[in-house]
Amino acid sequence: MSKRVGILIFPGTNSEEETLRACRAVGLETELVHWNAELDSVRAFAAYILPGGFAYEDRVRAGAIAAHDRLMLAVREGAAQGKLVLGICNGAQVLLESGLAPGLDGGVQAQAGFAKNAPLGKFRSTHVYVKLAIPPARCAITAFLSAGAIIPAWASHGEGRLAAQPDLLKRIASEGHLAFTYCDAKGDAASEDVPNGSALGAAAITNARGNVLAIMPHPERDAWTFMHHDKSREAARGEPDTMLAPSGGIVLFESFAKALA
Amino acid sequence: MRGVDDVALQGDLRAHGLALTVSEIQRIAERLGRDPSIVECHAFDAQWSEHCSYKSSRHFLGRLPTEGPTVMQGPQEDAGIVHLGEWQGERYGIVIAHESHNHPSQVVPFEGAATGVGGIVRDVLCMGARVIALADPLRFGPLDDPHSRYVAQGVVDGIAAYGNAIGVPNIAGDVYFHEGFRDNCLVNVVALGLIKESEIIHSAAPAGSAGWDIVLVGKATDRSGFGGAAFSSLVLDEADAESNKSAVQVPDPFLKNVIMRASYRAFDAIRELGLSVGFKDLGAGGIMGCTAELAASGGFGARIDLDKCPATQPDLPAAVIAVGETQERLAWVVPPSFTARLLAIYNEEFSLPMIARGAQAAVIGTVTSEKDYVLARHGAEVMRVPIDFLTGGIRYDRPYELPMPAVHSVRYAYREKTTEPARSSPSDPRKTLEIYFRLDDWCAFDRDLAFRVLGHRDICSRKPIYERFDSVVRGTTSIQCGYADAGVVVPIPGSPLAAALSVDHNPRYAQLDPGLAAEHAVCEAIRNVVSVGARPVGLTDCLNFGNPENPEDFGAFVASVDGIARAATTLSVPFVSGNVSLYNQSAAGQSIPPSAIIACVGAIADVSRSVTPGFKRAGNQLYYVGRIGEDIGGSVLAELNGIVDSRLPKIDYVEVRRQLAIVLDAIACGAVLSAHDVSDGGIFTAVAEMAFATRGGTRIGAELTHHYPDLPENSWCTGPATAFFGEHGGFVLEVTPSFHALLEDYDAERDYFWPINGITSEKYEIALDGDGCKYTYSLDELYEAWSAPLRNFYLELPQ
Repeated sequence: MSKRVGILIFPGTNSEEETLRACRAVGLETELVHWNAELDSVRAFAAYILPGGFAYEDRVRAGAIAAHDRLMLAVREGAAQGKLVLGICNGAQVLLESGLAPGLDGGVQAQAGFAKNAPLGKFRSTHVYVKLAIPPARCAITAFLSAGAIIPAWASHGEGRLAAQPDLLKRIASEGHLAFTYCDAKGDAASEDVPNGSALGAAAITNARGNVLAIMPHPERDAWTFMHHDKSREAARGEPDTMLAPSGGIVLFESFAKALA
Repeated sequence: MRGVDDVALQGDLRAHGLALTVSEIQRIAERLGRDPSIVECHAFDAQWSEHCSYKSSRHFLGRLPTEGPTVMQGPQEDAGIVHLGEWQGERYGIVIAHESHNHPSQVVPFEGAATGVGGIVRDVLCMGARVIALADPLRFGPLDDPHSRYVAQGVVDGIAAYGNAIGVPNIAGDVYFHEGFRDNCLVNVVALGLIKESEIIHSAAPAGSAGWDIVLVGKATDRSGFGGAAFSSLVLDEADAESNKSAVQVPDPFLKNVIMRASYRAFDAIRELGLSVGFKDLGAGGIMGCTAELAASGGFGARIDLDKCPATQPDLPAAVIAVGETQERLAWVVPPSFTARLLAIYNEEFSLPMIARGAQAAVIGTVTSEKDYVLARHGAEVMRVPIDFLTGGIRYDRPYELPMPAVHSVRYAYREKTTEPARSSPSDPRKTLEIYFRLDDWCAFDRDLAFRVLGHRDICSRKPIYERFDSVVRGTTSIQCGYADAGVVVPIPGSPLAAALSVDHNPRYAQLDPGLAAEHAVCEAIRNVVSVGARPVGLTDCLNFGNPENPEDFGAFVASVDGIARAATTLSVPFVSGNVSLYNQSAAGQSIPPSAIIACVGAIADVSRSVTPGFKRAGNQLYYVGRIGEDIGGSVLAELNGIVDSRLPKIDYVEVRRQLAIVLDAIACGAVLSAHDVSDGGIFTAVAEMAFATRGGTRIGAELTHHYPDLPENSWCTGPATAFFGEHGGFVLEVTPSFHALLEDYDAERDYFWPINGITSEKYEIALDGDGCKYTYSLDELYEAWSAPLRNFYLELPQ
């Protein structure tokens, strides 16, 4: 089986370039897949990544239209076959709208959503850290991270607040769907570290099988040393190779690549 | 037209929504040998507007330096290009364009600001470049005025909605709040692009292109944005506010996102085939303005069939199709052999018709060898004019009165403030030199001063604004918006080349002395890019002024052009593009503060040598690289002390050049750990912001000392308030011990770095010792004072 990864582009997607670079940096054979690609060619990929952006202009709700895009047929089939599916930001919104995450009780309808940020209801772009909140092996994509891994990322979205019925929220937490939560640089969680008022402090949701991961903040936008503002940047002073090397948020892609290998 | 009196003609022109003057329309009729058609009237109205023709300003812009080793393309097209560096045998350039969208943003803030971003992105795109960064200099009225707040919120939301959706990081900008912008906000937009020198596309029909196709790409033409160019060249009138709204364009960032990506694909195809083509965005003057300039720039004429221009409705008047400024459109000149491929890229591969109703690429006309510009509608010619007459514009030599800058020293102001009898003639402030006193006698350094400065509207944290902009999309941003004096992107994957961008201009300064304020803006914008370790390689200006028909307003314009020309020439940084926005005043006659807003691009050869402002470690030496002067006119310190007409700090260019050279050298050799330029709020504010900028969970404070040596008899000198809060320019640096050795190279004049000394400390506080004035500030408390004023930017005011 081919191990190629397809990054799906809907009209309005805007993060395909950085996502492609992150994939290639960890050795993944990756291609950009356009919205009018042949469905059979899309089916041929071994894994899918849905990148950030504003697919279909976020009409109705973020991700709501793209969840019904033709390309999603291939993604649904693939997810059912156990292929890895990673949605980042707008891609995560699409995965929740399509019901691929959290997918409680094998459901294929949306059970939870990423609603407008609280309190302003507006787009916000801010640096965050997220912490792995499940045993690494619970989700195939995180399987090669260390337990409790802390990953730097940028939360850049207007609709990232996890929202669902209270009983479903409880199950998301208790049944191991809450993959990442927001935290500070040391891994401690406090309400001011949640950039959007997300329920459970949720930054990412996985499905029951653990092959689908919907993550709101962008690890690929803090995935090279030159993007950081911590001691690693200072340590790379005068060392262009180190400065241009992948680090930080790249670990999620490394784990993804190992899971696919 | 003949036989009609001037008054009646003027009435007719205004009734048709035309801003053309009677003498202009008569000149057109004379040249054509007949009365112009309605379409022709609208065409000239747009082309001869101030916005398009720079009829009042163009001849002054020749005073700007536009040449230098870093210039790859000067200011003759939609955007300029400066040299970034070489990578893998290719010369890379940074495309920069800078524009205003002031009038539309005042009338409909969200759409006005959004379409401003849309327009500037097209200016960069049409050079064949990838659009890699945005920045926004914004000027609003006071936030306690509900309408100014409404405008400010709408503008920020509009920029966010557009820039975020198209996926271009917003990496820099500044915001000032000033009474003078209450009725006329300023929304300037800057965009950067990346291009290889070998792949530049020009906004001109290429040589030998007679008979080639003119292809229009984008949104179907509708009624929006009709009369925009002329509108932006009129004074905003409250009574016309409703009717002016139809002159504002409707943004569609979703469509633009796709058009940008489709155009990148078209660039690839053109490079594969080695074609020479023309590409230009549609802005002022719509289809007519764009295609006429494309053809004229190549020395050709053009014939456009308006029936072939995709429109939202079949019965649009010819004039609306011809000059309406519907957004999200560009025009190509391509050889017919390539046309089918180009149409397929937009219409099939990127399925434009599916993205927005009526959106598409379509052939609308032909480049011709005759030097006429012709529009046809329903098989008949509705316009035929000599193309150079249309695009050549006109020139007005407006009378102007140069401004009288504030010349009083603070000493003079001080004496005015006290009740002491004057000991010398007020007309000759120099005589007060005889009196010895400390400047700070009149501005006492009470402990609270630091909080009032950091909480000042022009200094407090802009975080609630810049967090609304995506500064990291594309994954190339190294220094994000709000993290430093300049934003930095690393645009070529794998290459250490980086580009820095900053913007600057201080309206408080401009009210006192427009020309000197403009010089300060250039110096400050350059210092901003230098403080991240970038070599300044190019400048752009957006000259926002009042009514050019008013000699005082126009005098401020002329003085400002001379000011930026002097600064740029002396500091050897060329201007490569720019924009002029006049008539920025309200119907009540209130002109904005003269605003020569400057953007500076810096080149960084190795991003691993760049620096950020955040303190790195406790126990490091802090240096002030600059010289503390006595003039504090225009500063926040002066305003807080009620001094309104004191002179601005003067600029010693020899010293500025040396400061820039020292800082660049020190950064390049790794002797600088953090750097921040000194501007609003002075050295104290710079140090506080460096502490606030420390990231990654580390908290570092600073100890600062300022002592004068023994004063000579009868001398004049500044005290600690002026030293710490005066706006003296220069830089604050956190350095390694090797910095001292570097200074030895620079010279004996060690007083450069006198008299403020400092050290970073483990305590999260700023401890000051200034000539016996000792205060300790908790940085948490300072941060609160700095953060609070704009924290509730989005909350409604109580009615």
